[in-house]
Amino acid sequence: MARIFDRDTLLDLTVNVIPLGIILFFVVAFVLVDPFGGLDFYGRVLQMGLLVFPFVALAILTYVSGKAIAGDEKRSPVFFQGQATMEGAQTRHEAEADIEAADEAAAAATAEAEAEAEADATDDDADPDTTDEE
Amino acid sequence: METTGQLLLTVLMGAFLLGVAAFLARVEDWRSYTPLGAGGGAVGESGYGHAEKPAGLIRWFTTVDHKDIGLLYGLYATIAFVVGGLMVMLMRAELTTPATDVLGSATFYNSLLTSHGITMLFLFGTPIIAAFANYLVPLIIGADDMAFPRINAIAFWLLPPAALLIWAGFFPIPEVIPAQTAWTMYTPLSAGVGNGNQMNVGVDLMLLGLHLSGVSATMGAINFIATIFTERAEEVTWANLDIFSWTILTQSGLILFAFPLLGSALVMLLLDRNFATTFFAVEGGGPILWQHLFWFFGHPEVYILVLPPMGIVSYVLPRFSGRKLFGFKFVVYSTLAIGVLSFGVWAHHMFATGIDPRLRASFMAVSLAIAIPSAVKTFNWITTMWNGKLRLTAPMLFCIGFVSNFIIGGVTGVFLASIPVDLVLHDTYYVVGHFHYIVMGAITFAGMAGIYYWFPLVTGRWYQRTLAKAHFWLWMIGTNVTFFAMVLLGYGGMPRRYATFLPQFATLHQIATLGAFMLLVGGVIWVYNIYVSWIEGPHVQSGDPWRLDETSLNTAEWDWFDAKRETSLAATDGGEEVKADGGEVVDGAPADDAADDE
Amino acid sequence: MDENPGLSEEYRRASPWPLFVALGLPIAELGILFGLVPLAVGGLLLFFGSIAGILRENSYVSSTWRGLAALSLVVVALGLAIWYWDGTTQSDLLVRAYSVLGTGVLMLLAGVGGELFAQDAEPTL
Ligand code: HEM
Ligand SMILES: [Cu+2]
Repeated sequence: MARIFDRDTLLDLTVNVIPLGIILFFVVAFVLVDPFGGLDFYGRVLQMGLLVFPFVALAILTYVSGKAIAGDEKRSPVFFQGQATMEGAQTRHEAEADIEAADEAAAAATAEAEAEAEADATDDDADPDTTDEE
Repeated sequence: METTGQLLLTVLMGAFLLGVAAFLARVEDWRSYTPLGAGGGAVGESGYGHAEKPAGLIRWFTTVDHKDIGLLYGLYATIAFVVGGLMVMLMRAELTTPATDVLGSATFYNSLLTSHGITMLFLFGTPIIAAFANYLVPLIIGADDMAFPRINAIAFWLLPPAALLIWAGFFPIPEVIPAQTAWTMYTPLSAGVGNGNQMNVGVDLMLLGLHLSGVSATMGAINFIATIFTERAEEVTWANLDIFSWTILTQSGLILFAFPLLGSALVMLLLDRNFATTFFAVEGGGPILWQHLFWFFGHPEVYILVLPPMGIVSYVLPRFSGRKLFGFKFVVYSTLAIGVLSFGVWAHHMFATGIDPRLRASFMAVSLAIAIPSAVKTFNWITTMWNGKLRLTAPMLFCIGFVSNFIIGGVTGVFLASIPVDLVLHDTYYVVGHFHYIVMGAITFAGMAGIYYWFPLVTGRWYQRTLAKAHFWLWMIGTNVTFFAMVLLGYGGMPRRYATFLPQFATLHQIATLGAFMLLVGGVIWVYNIYVSWIEGPHVQSGDPWRLDETSLNTAEWDWFDAKRETSLAATDGGEEVKADGGEVVDGAPADDAADDE
Repeated sequence: MDENPGLSEEYRRASPWPLFVALGLPIAELGILFGLVPLAVGGLLLFFGSIAGILRENSYVSSTWRGLAALSLVVVALGLAIWYWDGTTQSDLLVRAYSVLGTGVLMLLAGVGGELFAQDAEPTL
């Protein structure tokens, strides 16, 4: 589990952490400020339930889907969307390596062979700035 | 009298059943040519032109092929869109003058209003999405077909009867009048209480039709969930599932929870109307119970309608930006987030009902939270286009239009989610403007993007580029003229759902009508273009008509198209068809350059 | 029409039943809701008959007759439920209950009879 939820995956999941944070903010606000006041116990349960239920459901779904997606990423080759079943499609790993290689080649104007060796050595996980790509 | 009626019905029903039996017997004949079995087994010689399906019209009535069913959904949705569109044109014509000078009766206006809403949401919106999903999802995820092909066919065939029932009030049937409940069907009006005319069977028929469309949507959803979970090709892991399939999966989940609830609520309403139950009566559950049940369905419904179009845009827009979708996984996770949260916001449609303000605040909180995932997607689309190599083809234009209109629709929505603002704007034209920016400006635009993008895939032909551009610009301008005028009308305090208005609103209403006529003209162009191009458009020249390979953005469904083309060329000896292809050009350029843009 | 070569050629891609399942349901609903006996009976027959046809086509049951007999139990149960509800409301539901029950019995008889006497003639309904 710790392996599945590495830094990249957690970064991907922040997108759902924001709405969770907003809901949490209101939970705290309603506890501290208690707008309109005077709710009995049952009313309080409703008021909080309306916030807590979506919060918990979203947290669970985010966890489950994150686990499924990140898990499959580790287990099998990752393609760009819609390309998995295509013959000769590049995996994400290869595409990134290519870009890397091209960059290297252009920047340093070094020998191609060198650049490729460099690219081959590139590790998916060691490449933080491509996580946002498809 | 009563008995003659029943007798007549019996005879009719008997004759109908006999007809069905005769038809089935005929079809049995065809069936004896091909081996029976649970979808398995080799296909024998059928004696017809096609190995898997009978020929002619019967093919369409008996097909269980996901692509055929997708096309049927598409045809159905188009017809519904035309009907709903013509209805609203009558309404907009009425609204050019403050009094009911054009239609002559507010009752008729109310009937049109009700039918327009229900037609567009349930008979156009849901089916057009099902059209794309049926045709494309199995191709993209590498499935042979849907998990349950026959259930798929049943789900489609429930829709035509649903439409007939929903429109029944407009048919010249004695004593049946159209429903005038608005699409929300609020009780007590819809329960037929009081001295109005809403106890009429026309309302019952409409409710039944709606119920049927719900059954259909639920069956479709079960099918998509099963298909995406179990029928994916091995390479298509969760990490490789495309964004359109993700949105269909999420949408199906929403349908699974939302539509059965609508179905139950409708049955309760029918029971209240016909069998004197008291679910929504003051002495029973109370009229507000309807609003809770309806909106617990209704808010997820709006996301049921918008998620797959977002998927289409997320899928198509990168192809013409020369880029991969930026933040693919952000888009996936935010889709799922919208799915969950959409069940926690329903009472933002009920802020003005006298609901306990302390509970109301909770609904506001979740409504604000749900705006985040929507905004995230918008940023991703914009970032994808940023510095990209944009090709402004017709589908791309509609995608960009989607993003633009969605921003206005979304921002107006967030304001409505704020209680103090909503209390001022609720039930004004501002709300109408808000949701039309989304249902017309976004959902329908994405639908058009999809139609133009996959037109070559489905027909093997090109549409007319110039007409498609004219369609886009008429719609882009028309949408903004019409619905921004409505936003302004709302600020001015013009209440929604009225056939008449105070003279001070006349100018803005006339502007809105002007915009609506632009939409009408654009729509006519669209129908004409699709029809004519389908029949005689120039053939596409390659299996990659959008030249996606150049940017490594090709996808599985075009791969399938390519393979299909090659086999068919080989089968027809190539020669003839190739010559015909070469002779035809689009706008003076070789057909394939239609993918290019000026 | 050339459909996806290489993909799923082995599937038969047609079935006559779905259309009639979809027609049977609304007819039955109309009949039961408004108490129109012919529609209720005919609609139910069409609906459940077509489902039996699908079950046979899928080889979930070995003959359409058996499917029909099994489904008749569902119809009878529905009829009994309506009969029960008749006692619980002021509305008169008896006609509806009888027509549904009658349809169920009809289906049961047809199913059993067909299974016994018409082994090789597959019914079309
Ligand atoms: C960005 C998130 C959104 C928020 C915060 C939001 C908020 C709201 C609110 C508060 C209302 C109630 C206004 C009133 O009646 O006083 C409303 C109405 C409506 N919204 Fe949205 N909305 C959002 C997105 C959408 C989307 C995506 C759709 C459609 C796909 C949509 C469709 C509708 C519809 C149809 C109504 C009118 C319902 C009626 O007939 O009363 N909204 N929206
Ligand atoms: Cu809502």
